[in-house]
Amino acid sequence: MINFFIGLFLASFIIVLFSERLYRLIFWYAFNSLALGIVTILVGIEHLDNALIISGSLTILLKAGVIPFVLKNISQRFNLIREITPNVPIHYSIILIPAIIIFTFYLAQPMSSMIVINSHYIAISISSFFLALILMIEHGSVAPKIIAFLMMENALFLLGTIATKGMPMFIELGIFFDVMMAIVIINLLFKEEHIK
Amino acid sequence: MILLYLITPALIMFFMSLSHHIYLRRILPITNLMVLIPIVYLFSLDKPYAIIGKYLVATDLNSYILLISSIVAIGVTLALITLNRHVEIDERSYIRFYRFFALFWIGLILSILSNNMGIYWIGLEMATLSTVYMIKTNKSKQATKEAWNYMIVGAIAISLILFGIILIYASAKPILGEEAMNFALLKVHIHEIQNPFLFELGFVIICVGSFIKMGFFPMNLWLANIERASFYPVGALFNGILESAILLGFFQFSTIAMQIDKHATFSFIFIYIFLTIFLVSFLIFRSKDFMRLFSLSGIEHMALIILFWVSGGYFPALLHFGAHAFLKPALFLSTGVLESEGRYKIAGALKGYHGFVGKTFWFIVGFFILAIISLPPSPMFFSEIYGFSAMITLAKEKDSLLWMILAITILLLLLSIIFYKFIEIYQSMKYKGEEVEKVVYKSELLAFLIFAVATIGLIMPQTITYLKAIYG
Repeated sequence: MINFFIGLFLASFIIVLFSERLYRLIFWYAFNSLALGIVTILVGIEHLDNALIISGSLTILLKAGVIPFVLKNISQRFNLIREITPNVPIHYSIILIPAIIIFTFYLAQPMSSMIVINSHYIAISISSFFLALILMIEHGSVAPKIIAFLMMENALFLLGTIATKGMPMFIELGIFFDVMMAIVIINLLFKEEHIK
Repeated sequence: MILLYLITPALIMFFMSLSHHIYLRRILPITNLMVLIPIVYLFSLDKPYAIIGKYLVATDLNSYILLISSIVAIGVTLALITLNRHVEIDERSYIRFYRFFALFWIGLILSILSNNMGIYWIGLEMATLSTVYMIKTNKSKQATKEAWNYMIVGAIAISLILFGIILIYASAKPILGEEAMNFALLKVHIHEIQNPFLFELGFVIICVGSFIKMGFFPMNLWLANIERASFYPVGALFNGILESAILLGFFQFSTIAMQIDKHATFSFIFIYIFLTIFLVSFLIFRSKDFMRLFSLSGIEHMALIILFWVSGGYFPALLHFGAHAFLKPALFLSTGVLESEGRYKIAGALKGYHGFVGKTFWFIVGFFILAIISLPPSPMFFSEIYGFSAMITLAKEKDSLLWMILAITILLLLLSIIFYKFIEIYQSMKYKGEEVEKVVYKSELLAFLIFAVATIGLIMPQTITYLKAIYG
């Protein structure tokens, strides 16, 4: 079951790299967060860890619900350009993305050998981190870069969940708080530009 | 309870900023002074002192850094009183600047006092995000671009730090459980870690993230561009407080990493620092305005602090750290006055100051500029002598004395380029150009006096004894 959702998590990362519409990007971010939340809950159930179940539920609520809603609202309110063509042509991305995933599997091998449980997911979280960086690089406009930042945070969250069986609860709550603060600041920045 | 006292001035600033009463900013430097009371109390306590259990712990090191950051914060609030006399800023943005300054300050107090990697990261992220809006208070197109730039690059840097923390946590969790995030505990149990490779990998990733945030190779210009585009107090806050917290994190992580493999840690950091100073010295040589000059010089000094630290020269690193944290914000704040005739007008920038306030201003700014290039009796002069001798001592342990002498010679040559540029600029400011009358406000002068007294305080025997005792 976890394998299935991890697959969906990685697939949504690949899809966003080909997206040319902002709302589609927001949708896939929400989907990615949903898959991440479910994986966290399933890992929590597997290890009988209530903290993981709570943080998985919070992920679904905030990252798959509240943040995408706020982002869509921001894009409507401030008339953000919805057509976002990647700077890297899609036919190059088709070669680049599998290359990154294969590369990270080799890169993560020494690390995976040191982690006993779910070690093969480490490579997926690291490749997701790199894919988020690619998303950030391949777009010139700000909105996709924000989503790339949020997806990068998702990749790190997966790494934290898998490699360490979850970080302490208060740290995860702190990270949620920071993500929410980032959204507030992004909103303020757009608002200032709009007023100007 | 101490934590509440420490964050009270920031909370007062935050709530006052909600009232939209612009005159309240005159009260803020006084309320900010209150932060010194709990800090002085912290100094009187036996260390380590648990502020909140094992999560926030005051040590000799972080109390020193907190004191320095607080003095910088007091100086910045004083200089902020007259910000609107030097730059165009509307009242709404002015008040919001204070609001985000307060959040920034709370984040950094948490970060500095944390004995937990997670809390350290949360505080740092909070401060980073608050800075984005402070950059944006300047309404220029360039500032908007740089605010987004800071948001994106800052986010990458901070994500890399989190990535490294997760790997370190994963490496130590099998032996320490959830306590693997505790700096003090990790220091004690580091040799029991079964996977030092994971720790080292995490440390390297943290270094890369921290170095991006500090503007090291190859990201030498991004910070200078941001500081150029934003109002001058932002540069002061970056160099005096934010970078201090990042350096503190580096000190904590590197002390543990050096227990695993001291020489490998030194070699990795040395190559990074060498490349940084090499690039920065030439960038400084080509810089044409005060802001970029001070910003790039800040990178050079942070690189030296890190180099001295990993060489085992804890005392020179901390002395250099203190001097940099006072001198650099002072210079950034002085740009408000120095650039009153235009940002590229260096010639005659130290002319045209009349009366007691004006003359004291040019004397103090001259003192800051000469102190930053390590002219004796600047604390930086002593820190560099002690720092380079720490490098020689390390080289003797490694039997690579000749290589180290060669490396130090090249570093000194690069530093002499910076020295030459600063002297040339100082002469141009003092002896060239036309004399145009300029205004310095008393609150600004008070801020500069605080920084000057604090810098002199660093070479007092008591301070030196305290710093030498921090790491034996």
